[in-house]
Amino acid sequence: MIEALRKKAEELLRSKTVDVIYGYGEGSTPERTRPVFITKPEDVNKLTWNKYCVYNLTTYLKRQEARKLGKPAIVVKGCDAKTIIVLIKESQIKREDVYILGVTCNGVGEPQATKCKACDIHTPRIYDELIGEKIENKEISFEERYAEIEEYEKLSEKDKWEFWQKQFAKCIKCYACSSICPLCFCDRCIVDKNQPQWIDPSAHPRGNLSWNVTRAYHLAGRCINCEECQRVCPADIPLNLLNKKLAKETEKNFKYRAGYNIDDELAMATYKEDDNQDFIK
Amino acid sequence: MEKTLKKEKFNSLITGLKDQGYKTIAPKKDSNLVMLDEVQSADEIHLDHVQTNNSIKEFFLPKTEKILSYRIEKNKVSMEEPEGFAVKTVVFGSRPCDAASLPIMDKVFNWDCTDKFWVQRREATTIVTIACDKCDNYCFCTSVGLAPDSKEGSDVLLTKVSDDEYLVETVTEKGEKLVESLGTVFTPADNPGTETLNRQVATVENKFEIEKVKPWLDENFVHKVWAEFSTKCIGCGACTFVCPTCHCFDIVDECTMSKGDRVKNWDGCQFKMFTLHTSGHNPRSTQDQRWRQRIMHKFKYYVEKFDSILCVGCGRCSRVCPADMNISEMLEIIATEESQPVNKE
Amino acid sequence: MENIYKPYLMNISDMIDEAPGVRTFRLNFLNEDEGKNFQFQAGQFALYSVFGYGESTFCIASSPTRKDYIECTFRQAGRVTNALSELNVGDTIGFRGPYGNVFPIEEWEGKNLVFVAGGIALPPLRCVIWNCLDLRDKYKNITIVYGAKTVADLVYKHELKEWNARDDVNLVTTVDPGGETPDWSGKVGFVPTVVEQTAPSSEDTIAIVCGPPIMIKFTLPVLEKLGFKQEKVYTTLESRMKCGLGKCGRCNIGCTYVCKDGPVFTAEEISKMPDEF
Repeated sequence: MIEALRKKAEELLRSKTVDVIYGYGEGSTPERTRPVFITKPEDVNKLTWNKYCVYNLTTYLKRQEARKLGKPAIVVKGCDAKTIIVLIKESQIKREDVYILGVTCNGVGEPQATKCKACDIHTPRIYDELIGEKIENKEISFEERYAEIEEYEKLSEKDKWEFWQKQFAKCIKCYACSSICPLCFCDRCIVDKNQPQWIDPSAHPRGNLSWNVTRAYHLAGRCINCEECQRVCPADIPLNLLNKKLAKETEKNFKYRAGYNIDDELAMATYKEDDNQDFIK
Repeated sequence: MEKTLKKEKFNSLITGLKDQGYKTIAPKKDSNLVMLDEVQSADEIHLDHVQTNNSIKEFFLPKTEKILSYRIEKNKVSMEEPEGFAVKTVVFGSRPCDAASLPIMDKVFNWDCTDKFWVQRREATTIVTIACDKCDNYCFCTSVGLAPDSKEGSDVLLTKVSDDEYLVETVTEKGEKLVESLGTVFTPADNPGTETLNRQVATVENKFEIEKVKPWLDENFVHKVWAEFSTKCIGCGACTFVCPTCHCFDIVDECTMSKGDRVKNWDGCQFKMFTLHTSGHNPRSTQDQRWRQRIMHKFKYYVEKFDSILCVGCGRCSRVCPADMNISEMLEIIATEESQPVNKE
Repeated sequence: MENIYKPYLMNISDMIDEAPGVRTFRLNFLNEDEGKNFQFQAGQFALYSVFGYGESTFCIASSPTRKDYIECTFRQAGRVTNALSELNVGDTIGFRGPYGNVFPIEEWEGKNLVFVAGGIALPPLRCVIWNCLDLRDKYKNITIVYGAKTVADLVYKHELKEWNARDDVNLVTTVDPGGETPDWSGKVGFVPTVVEQTAPSSEDTIAIVCGPPIMIKFTLPVLEKLGFKQEKVYTTLESRMKCGLGKCGRCNIGCTYVCKDGPVFTAEEISKMPDEF
């Protein structure tokens, strides 16, 4: 699979179909990979593919430093590919702006990432070239897909509040969660706006609560569950519980799952007269 | 006379400290993390780790702290000084790299004028370090002139000599007083002289020649490596916030209609907002410039200004980096480049 | 131990609208003793705060020769300056300072002085201009070149008139092309061009330049062409600051703390700094 990936990458660079490949390379330790940006055909051997390829590389589409390198081909897993669908739907990129090097995937991370446990997207739903043997995307039940938050949902309101207070107390406001998020693409984030000061910049209980909740809400109906925010959090806050809960509510209320179908109308940006409004009463 | 601290005495140590009115900070397990945090009993202390996830910095420069309070009535303002921020504290079981960060940071908080919030906490705190008996690939203290059993910044240094015993070395007068005050918690070594031989200290690989770093930085403010290395940087503040020597901060006001606080918050040079002028002009508008700033500040600017490297080789920034930017790898590249200059295009 | 972050409380005793969005406050210490002991020199800056909104950095715009008050001039731009502009005479603000280094006006004695300012950058020079004018005998020719986008954007209009009327000051005002009004009697053109036309002699002369980065960038070569050596050209740098005390790390340019080692630098010093201002 690595060979096929390198061969395709080399071909894309030689034919000048793209200027750069956003891919995975060897990391600083054997248990890590790191994003690499390959611009020369002779460098494609720096590309790798293994179970440590956790990153969602589409986040570099929002970074001027990567965009400066020209038109990209991006190595994406099934889950990451969903981001591209959302980015297209939200008019952040055009389909022709990226070449999608889809890789089939049986799960990443050691131990395996939570998102992989109920994966129904081993093969990307959108790609220009597929690397690896096609794996059938099995349908997974609603319950199973949201099993991760079952325990959390059982908590009483008071316990939930206490749980999050304890979790958010750990937040150091490094903004790794939003910096890594491919869908947090606002040029000036709400935390950087101070007229008025919407969110207290301090990493105290009030500031941390307002930041983390606002971040999660801004991703409601948009988050594609790549879990990158949770992976990078140096304070080990289980941010994906929030994302997952909001995804569940979105699916329940609007029958919408972000990034699955390019023809679906966006849950939060589409007005329908028959929208379910029970939740807002 | 050589003294040791037996693990079975940890309880009396913590109780003894409590009795003397100390707040005790020690490594504590918190699900997947090991955090320096306040402990009430010896059972909470966790010592089976390479490095705590948080650095010692937050006990002197907290992530957020009040520096002024005020009340506003019509157009009159009255101010109040924060009090009680410097509590008598013992940090027990921090690593030598963390301890070494403190005298380095003393320089910036004391030069020209004194930041009492840092200085008074420093005065109120005694540092009891435990030398590292293990390390990982991210550690590089030996490359920045320190060691897993460095004494810089510690008041007392403990070194493991067996599974349940630590050799006690007092480093400062403050440390000596603390050891004395705890009396029988520390015991004379069973076999004087031998303990020093059985010291269990990790071997931290020397990764680069530090003396080659600054000469290269002096010449290469403009170099392709800055952008090449940092394209993957996502511009978050994780590296600077977990760093024991990164000390940049912001000052903001937080208030209701009638009263408020002026607070000091951690801030970091990797954020694009850090240097942004109100006019929209940004002296460091791209990530490679910001990454260069972090390296330059630590290994050139601070050295020129304060005669210290602003890095203790703890490796935290590399461990937490979301994009696997590895600072010692960057420094290895620099040190190698200095030996074999290549063209800068 | 003293809290270095604690401001003085100041009363706004007067205010003048200088230009659209630009206002000058006259400030007096609420505590008279603090006022008596307060000293500063031309070129220094301070942090002005609106309680509840935060602190903002700008220069002291009045001359140290006028001891009864401090004046500052600010443009409404960010959170704090917007809050400042909501205040009225009689309101209280915080003031931390004076910070930073100074213009070495004693070294300049016996020399000609050329001041070049653009837009909202006249306030930092107004302090030193008045200081030198109040000690007029000590200096030879004084030339002031000041430009703004439009006539309305010129600040200190009343003082420009006063300087214009004086025989011992050569004032040249200019506005950007298109910024003139029918009755505008000054020049039309960008500051660097007007400096070139005015062509002050560099012989025994000190130049003091302050303005937006783009103006400085184009003015320095003009001065060089006129024969000014880099060490005879002074400027005052603007940088984002939070503490003003050499702690917070925000204003660093290389190992220079603009707040401590600056804000006043010679063009020679600036040429040795990394290009990050």
